[in-house]
Amino acid sequence: MPRPLLTFSVLASAALLLAGCATASGTPVPSSTNTIPIDNCGVEVPVAAPPQRVIAIKSTSTEMLLALGLGDRIVGTAFQDGPIPAKWAAAASGIPVLADKVPSQEVVLNANPDFIYAGWESNFSADGAGTRSELANLGIRTYVSPSACKEAAYQPKRLTFDDIDQEINQIAAIFHVDDASLLAEQHAVLAAIRKDTRGLSALWFSSGSDIPYVGAGIGPPQLILDTVGLRNIAADVKDTWASYNWESVIAANPNVIVLVDASWSTAEKKIGVLEGNPATAKLDAVKNHRYLIIPFASSEAGVSTVDAAADLSAQLKALNLG
Amino acid sequence: MWTIVLAAALVASITFAVTFGPANITPLEVWGSILHHLGIGEPPLTALRDSIVWDLRLPRVLTAGAVGAGLALAGVVMQSITRNPLADPYLLGLSSGASLGAVAVLLLGSALLLPVAAFLGAMVALAATLLLAGAFGRITPGRTVLAGIAVSALAGAITSLIIFWTVTGDSYREILGWLLGSLAGARWPAVGIAATAILIAGIPIMMSGRVLDAFAFGDTSATTLGVNVPATRWIMLTAAALLTGAMVSVSGAIGFVGLILPHAVRLLVGPRHRLLLPLSALVGASFLIWADTAARSLFDPRELPVGIVTAIIGAPVFAALLARRRVSS
Repeated sequence: MPRPLLTFSVLASAALLLAGCATASGTPVPSSTNTIPIDNCGVEVPVAAPPQRVIAIKSTSTEMLLALGLGDRIVGTAFQDGPIPAKWAAAASGIPVLADKVPSQEVVLNANPDFIYAGWESNFSADGAGTRSELANLGIRTYVSPSACKEAAYQPKRLTFDDIDQEINQIAAIFHVDDASLLAEQHAVLAAIRKDTRGLSALWFSSGSDIPYVGAGIGPPQLILDTVGLRNIAADVKDTWASYNWESVIAANPNVIVLVDASWSTAEKKIGVLEGNPATAKLDAVKNHRYLIIPFASSEAGVSTVDAAADLSAQLKALNLG
Repeated sequence: MWTIVLAAALVASITFAVTFGPANITPLEVWGSILHHLGIGEPPLTALRDSIVWDLRLPRVLTAGAVGAGLALAGVVMQSITRNPLADPYLLGLSSGASLGAVAVLLLGSALLLPVAAFLGAMVALAATLLLAGAFGRITPGRTVLAGIAVSALAGAITSLIIFWTVTGDSYREILGWLLGSLAGARWPAVGIAATAILIAGIPIMMSGRVLDAFAFGDTSATTLGVNVPATRWIMLTAAALLTGAMVSVSGAIGFVGLILPHAVRLLVGPRHRLLLPLSALVGASFLIWADTAARSLFDPRELPVGIVTAIIGAPVFAALLARRRVSS
C-alpha cells in the first residue's frame, strides 16, 4: 500500500472517532441535514463527513474558515495576500504557513490534509497544489471559491452578495456548522452602508503601470463599487478584472480612484505611477489626491467583502470633493 | 522614386495612426492639438484630452516608427554581414541578450540604465554568438545561427530565472507583455532614446551601403575592394547591437520586423544596399506603426502586446518568402 494512502486511512479512522465528539469549532449541526454533494466549478464535493485537516490557499479561504469558527481545523495556510484581520488574529495565531505563494503538491501532501480550500481555480494545477482529480484520488476533497470559477457555466454573470452568502452556506454545509450568525453579521454590515448619491465615477486600479489592470464589470470590484454608490468606468468590460488602457481612463476622467494596496504593488507605488505619467497626472482625481485605498486581501470575494465595502464607503464619505 | 513614395507613406501612417484610439477624438481635433503644441493655432481640446494626443498617442506612434526603422536596419546589417538570409537580431541572440540586460536592471530598479544595460546585453550576446560560432573552425552562416540559438536559449533561461525569483503578485503580466514586445509604455523619453539610437547608429548604417554591397561578394572580394573585413564586421555588428539594445529597452523584444522587412524590400528594389537600407528603415517604421495601431485598437479597451501582431503577420509572410526562394533557386 502506498504510504500516502496508508496515512490517509489512519487519519480517516481518527477523523471518524473525532466526529463523534463535539469539537471546539463552530456549532455542530446534525449531519443528516446535508448529504447531497455540492457542484463546485464542475467538481463534485461530498459533504457527508466534515473535514478535519484543512489547507487554506489565499486569504479569502482562510478568512471564511476563521469567520465560521473553524480555525482549529486549518493545518496550514498558503498564498496569503496580507495580514489576517485583527478580529481573527488570535484564532489564527499558530497556524503554520506552508508557502508564500501557491504550495507545491509535495508540500500539500506532507501536511496530510483531507480538504483543500482555494481562492483561485488555478491554485489546483499540476505545478501548484495538484489537480483536483489527482487530489480526489488521494481522498482529498477540494473546493474553490465559486465566485472564482472560470467556466462560463459556473462564473457568476455578475457577482452579488448572494453569491458570497451561498459560499458561506456551502462551507457551513461541508463542515456541518451553523452559519446563521455569520450571515446575520454580514447582512448587518451591508445594511449599514449608505450609498453615495453624488453620482461619482471611479477607476478601480488593481496593478500595472504601462497597461493598467483594473476592476471590470462583473467581479468583486464592481460589486463593491455598486454597493458604495460609485460608477465603475470599466463596467462595460465583461470580466472580473481586466487589462485596460490609459487613454480610456483619461477620456473618462474618474472622480475618484480606488487603489488596491498589496505588498507587491502598494498604493504609494500606484500613486507614483499615476503622477509619473504626464497624461494621468492631469486627471482630476490625481491632481486632487482623491484616492480610496483597499487592502488586496479584501478586494476578492469573501467574508471580508462587506467590510471592504463599509471601509470604502467611510473613506468616500470623508472625501472632500470641493 | 521608391524613397519618395515610402517616405510619403510613412508621413501618412503617422498622420492616420494618431487619430486611432479608444477615446473619441476627431482627426481634426487630433491635428489641431498637435499643431498647437508645435506653436500653431489655438488648443482645440481640454487639457486632459489634449494629453491623450500629446502625452500618449503621438510619442507612442513616433516610438513605433523609430523602433520599426531600427529593427529593420539591424536586420539588414545582420543578414548582410553574416551572409545569412535568416539572420536578424533575434536569431543571433541579440534581442535575448538585450532583454536579459534590461530585465536585470528593471528588477534592480534603475530605469535610467535600461538602454545601456540592454545594449551591453546585446553586445555580450553577439560576442558570445560569434565566439561560439568561430570556436571550432571558420565562422559559417549555419554555425552562426546555431550559436545564436544556443546564446538565445541561455539568455532566455537566465531572464526567466530572474523573473521567477523576483516577480511578485501579478506583475508578471506586465513583464510578460514587455517580453513579447509592447509599446504601451512609450512616452516622450522613449521617443528620445529610440531617436538618438537612429541618429548615432541608424544613420551611419544607412550610409554604409557600399561596404555592405562589398560584403555580399564574400570576405576575399570585400578585401580586394578595399574593405577591412574584420574591423568592418565588428563596427557594423556593434552598430546593430546598439540599435537593438536601444529598441529593446523601449519596446521589449518585438520579433519578425528585422527578419521579414528587409526581404520584402529586396523583392521590391533588389539587393543593392544603397537603396535597401533607407527603404527598409522607412517600411519598418510604417509597418510597426500600423502593427501597434492594430495592437491597441483591435480589442479596445484591452490591448495586445505588439510582438504578437508582428509575429502573426510576420510568420506567414516569412513562410511565403521561404517558399518563393525555394521555387526561384
